[in-house]
Amino acid sequence: MKQLLTANVATHLYWLGRYLERIESTLIWVMKAYDFVIDVDKNAGIALYKKFGIDLEYSDSQSFLNNALLGEHTANIYSLTSKARENAIICRSQIDAEAFGEIMELNSIFDKAYKNKIDINHQCIDSAHSLIREIWGSLSRRKSRQSSDYFFRLGKIVEELDFYLRFGADRDIVEIVIKNIDVIIKKLSCESESDAKEYQSLSMEQENIMFEIDKRIAKIIVG
Amino acid sequence: MEKSTESHEKFWEIFSKQDRKKIDEFQRYMDKFAINFNLYKDGNFIERSLPFDVIPRIISKEDFSKIEKGLIQRVTALNMFLEDLYTDEKIINDGIIPREFVLQAKGYLEKFKGFSPSKKIRTHINGIDLVKDSVNDEWVILEDNLRVPSGSSYPLSIRDTYRKIYPDFFETMKIKPIKQYPKYIADAMNYVNCGGINIVLSPGRFNAAYYEHSYLADKIGAELVRAHELKVVDKKLYFKNYNGKLVRVGAVYRRLDDDFLDPTFFNPESLIGVPGLVEAYLSKNVAIMNGIGNGVADDKGIYYFVPKMIKYYLGEEPILQNAPTYLPYFKEDMEYVFNNMEKLVIKDVAEAGGYGVLFGHTMTATQIADLKLIIKADPRRFIAQELIEFYDEKCYIDGKLQDRKADFRAYVVMGEDVKVWECGLTRYALEAGNYLVNSSQGGGFKDTWIME
Repeated sequence: MKQLLTANVATHLYWLGRYLERIESTLIWVMKAYDFVIDVDKNAGIALYKKFGIDLEYSDSQSFLNNALLGEHTANIYSLTSKARENAIICRSQIDAEAFGEIMELNSIFDKAYKNKIDINHQCIDSAHSLIREIWGSLSRRKSRQSSDYFFRLGKIVEELDFYLRFGADRDIVEIVIKNIDVIIKKLSCESESDAKEYQSLSMEQENIMFEIDKRIAKIIVG
Repeated sequence: MEKSTESHEKFWEIFSKQDRKKIDEFQRYMDKFAINFNLYKDGNFIERSLPFDVIPRIISKEDFSKIEKGLIQRVTALNMFLEDLYTDEKIINDGIIPREFVLQAKGYLEKFKGFSPSKKIRTHINGIDLVKDSVNDEWVILEDNLRVPSGSSYPLSIRDTYRKIYPDFFETMKIKPIKQYPKYIADAMNYVNCGGINIVLSPGRFNAAYYEHSYLADKIGAELVRAHELKVVDKKLYFKNYNGKLVRVGAVYRRLDDDFLDPTFFNPESLIGVPGLVEAYLSKNVAIMNGIGNGVADDKGIYYFVPKMIKYYLGEEPILQNAPTYLPYFKEDMEYVFNNMEKLVIKDVAEAGGYGVLFGHTMTATQIADLKLIIKADPRRFIAQELIEFYDEKCYIDGKLQDRKADFRAYVVMGEDVKVWECGLTRYALEAGNYLVNSSQGGGFKDTWIME
């Protein structure tokens, strides 16, 4: 796993993983809520965005999609894909070339929709999902894992945990994700030799698990 | 247009059978992979791809062979000149180049007098601009870029796509492969390396050529870094790994100008330089490529003396000629320039990228009179050249074949040997009749096919 990596690139890889996971999870949850908004529960979208700390307004299912994904708020998908794009540009030499291209394409889908005020539809969301699956696929196709891959993967699963906690997932699932995070943090800590011997495993019982994870990442990325 | 060769004919024959709708795929590829050459316009950062033309420039084996020999000769002499200038000054003492003329060059850095870099190599990666003169049917040197020449990543990137979109050309025609270029650079870096890893030093994400920095770092196998990711300790340069460990750096392929390299030595305002880097360089603990102080050799005024350098250092006649050039610094030349301003191209020696170039035939009488006054006040600042009527290249623009002026930047890498890359950057002007092809002037690029 010995690999040279600047702190800047390591940080951007971590955030690339987080943004991509955030985009994917947001799209999944938005499509679930959309299905409800059509004819089951008009307020399903409002309840969903409350979990993100956003007061969302809309009049019908189409305006829900548009406002949820392209509205002026922090969970705007165009802003998320732009951030993923920026992270990818900075760490492009550490990611698969095809995956890099797919991140650019992903951004361009929402860039066009946002700038030209085009209605978001299921095709555009399906295309985005396919691209994200390709990107994750490129990560798993690698024959060996390096620190760069672990930072990327760490970002992905930390974001997964964030979603699980927001949505009140089962304790079992949360424990598995925390274990996965722990394994990667431990690997990276050994690599950095930062108090690897005294390493204490993460656990659900920790008061603020997300804060604890951030603290540990800050110990690994020193620069 | 240049005389058609068998390769040209073969190209047109294959091209006539290709699906032209596929040309759009090149742009899609460049967008998808963010193959950009960025611009700052009105204070705004604009990400844009370089305009690309699908019709390649084809260079025959014979032409390339002459270019190759000529460039090896030229870069060897330029490297010898720099080494001599910063050490023994023989060329000045022997009266080949006036001392005053050299010392007035903006790129001459007196503080580096007496310093000789690793393996005495200063001109590691060079971009030499040529055109093919349509009057004599000969390649002519327009400019030597010995500081931070850019552009090689664009043909490297587009060639892969070309092979995928239109494989017929590569199956049928004998076109030289080009992928070896990053290896030339890696070999040169390893040769001068003073112990440690190789890095590419970039000003960062918002530099016009950031794509190139990142592409080349990846292909060379060097780490792409910005200044604050480096540290000088005890006159040695270190890479700061993410875990806080310091890793020794042996060679730096820098993508920033001398002025910004080290705020403790050059411009103190520079935020993109590494404090202490020059000290590490002067202590021979790190190689910097290209060498610091090279600007003196690609000064447009010094260009005039390159044929003399070749004769002086190598005892050979130059294989490739300069464009006929006059130095108003010399009285006789000033007289000629003033009497022939309407047909000459006047260049400000301190400018680059197509800036500071004036075409006499486009100027009014008042403008010419004003320019004469400026030249008289500071003759060292200008050179004048005969306008070279260089060949047009066919370009496929708006669905039609159109003629455009195009030059050719050849890349020469000096390590243990001097190597000329079997490709290069062909740049063309977007407007008909325009002689300025520089990317920073909005010019586009073509692939360049050197025939086996």
